[in-house]
Amino acid sequence: MKEAEPIVFVIDDDRMVREGLQGVLRSVGLRVETFASAQGFLAAKRPDGPSCLVLDVRMPGLSGLDLQQQLSESNIDIPIIFVTGHGDIPMSVQAMKEGAHEFLTKPVRGQDLLDAVQKAIASDRGVRKERAELDEIRARFDSLTPREKEVLELVVAGLLNKQIADELGTSELTVKTHRAHVMEKTKADSLAHLVRMSERLKTALRK
Amino acid sequence: MGSVRARGDFRSSGEAIEARSIKAALHPESPFEMHTIQAAPPKFGMLWRYTLAVAFVSIALWLSLALQAPFGNPFWFFFAIAVILSTWFCGRGPGWVVVCVSCLAALYFFIPPAHRLAVNERDVPFFVTFVLCQMIASWLISWRRETEDSLRRGRDELEVRVAERTAELRSANEALLRQIEEQRRTEEALQVARAELTRVARITTIGELTASIAHEVNQPLAAVVANADACVAWLSHQHPNLAEARAAAERATQGATRASEVIVRIRSLINKATPQKARVQLNDVIRETVALTEGQAARNGVSLVTELEPDLPVVLGDSIQLQQVVLNLLMNGIEAMTSVNDKPRHLVIRSRSQDGGQVGVAVEDTGVGVKPEWMPRLFEPFFTTRSKGMGMGLPISRSIVEAHGGKLWAESTVSQGSTFQFTLPHAEGPRK
Repeated sequence: MKEAEPIVFVIDDDRMVREGLQGVLRSVGLRVETFASAQGFLAAKRPDGPSCLVLDVRMPGLSGLDLQQQLSESNIDIPIIFVTGHGDIPMSVQAMKEGAHEFLTKPVRGQDLLDAVQKAIASDRGVRKERAELDEIRARFDSLTPREKEVLELVVAGLLNKQIADELGTSELTVKTHRAHVMEKTKADSLAHLVRMSERLKTALRK
Repeated sequence: MGSVRARGDFRSSGEAIEARSIKAALHPESPFEMHTIQAAPPKFGMLWRYTLAVAFVSIALWLSLALQAPFGNPFWFFFAIAVILSTWFCGRGPGWVVVCVSCLAALYFFIPPAHRLAVNERDVPFFVTFVLCQMIASWLISWRRETEDSLRRGRDELEVRVAERTAELRSANEALLRQIEEQRRTEEALQVARAELTRVARITTIGELTASIAHEVNQPLAAVVANADACVAWLSHQHPNLAEARAAAERATQGATRASEVIVRIRSLINKATPQKARVQLNDVIRETVALTEGQAARNGVSLVTELEPDLPVVLGDSIQLQQVVLNLLMNGIEAMTSVNDKPRHLVIRSRSQDGGQVGVAVEDTGVGVKPEWMPRLFEPFFTTRSKGMGMGLPISRSIVEAHGGKLWAESTVSQGSTFQFTLPHAEGPRK
């Protein structure tokens, strides 16, 4: 499966700045989409694929920080590179706490912007890969029957088939059958693999 | 001393003058004037007064006898003088004593038969007349004396009262003078403080503007840098993209031009030229100021709308000062809307030609409004509703407008917004 082309979203209320940033990014062959406001970005249909956001902090209407918050509330995970004319410390701290990828001050050097964008896209790519894998695992685990899930829990907890049978009040043979189904449905190569996938899923759910 | 002179006016009679000289003779060591006041009978000791009266009558007797020897005639007029003096100076009682003693002495020494307390039948009318004269003299003098005393007492009391009132008035006057002086000093200090504050407020306004300026200059600079970088990148490709490079270079030039325009605007704002009255087109002032505040408005999510009347008559004034007023009103309007989230943040600045040869400028916000109880204090120095405000913007603005012969006032509805407006007279005066 060929991965989609990375895309950079540039949001700045100042047309000149917007076009300048776009020019820098396009000159290295990046696909760029520009927006004059945060609302415009939210309203637009965004193509799927690795991407990042180059965002002006201070804008009329929804500010950059507001947009960051809205995105995180709607569980939209996209790396953000903040660009600001005069970033004060509290503002940058807040942005970074909220998970900003980078915080650049205007005027931004072209190379700094490109570096930040490349890193952000790489990171987004990683996150997307991770998320895809996780989705896959979740789909596999979701296909288990309730009984198989019970068996899975106990297997992962390190119990022997006999102990599991005692626990569930059933025969060792039945447990064995369930166990085989679990291994098959989750495509686990080994018990260790099953445990790893289970842990990964639990960690993701906990987040 | 004035009181002494005044007292003299009351005594026009010769007796009074005599009495004074006698008193002076009696108390040569004391200032005479002082004692005339104290000569009122009750002030002397009883014994003293009677002794003095007896002394007067003794002197009269002695003089009469002494003069009778060489001249043969009885000189008993001295008795009359003794009665007058003792009644005047020693009071009614001693006066009557002298009357009695002088009658007895006259009877004994001068009324025949001499050296006997008897009177010949022929001399009875004479003696009775003498006694009557003495009594009348004593009575008259005592009456006169009492009248005078009561008058003097009344006058003394009056004087004391007048003196008291004068002292009161004087101290009141002094207090008033002190107050006036104090007030004058306070006013001077206030004026100095006001001048200082005007300066500080100007600096503060400029300080507040610095952020705005930084943004205004930084934006085009950011565009310049980004576009120049893009231009270099397009040219550095293996097959340089000249069209893209040219477009980027043009955008860089535009950015640089915009930056330099911002700087020109700022320079004209903080130009320290002495205030001069010139013909000013308020629309230009408004446009320039709006350009300076647009960044601030944008950062606060405020939409800034200008509604300027074309062909607005010019006014006479200092454009920088007027710009300060407009700037202050715009900044206040933006500030008033920072906490407004439930409705659009609109700031409208309007210019209108008005009746009576006036030009009006109104700044209308959709902010929180001003509480009615705050309205009367709005233009007071140091009155502010912001934590960081100095409370100087509006008083200074009003003083500038008033110095230009105009008026500045406010209207506000809580949670609806406020309108600040000022009027200035046309440069040409009212138009027909």
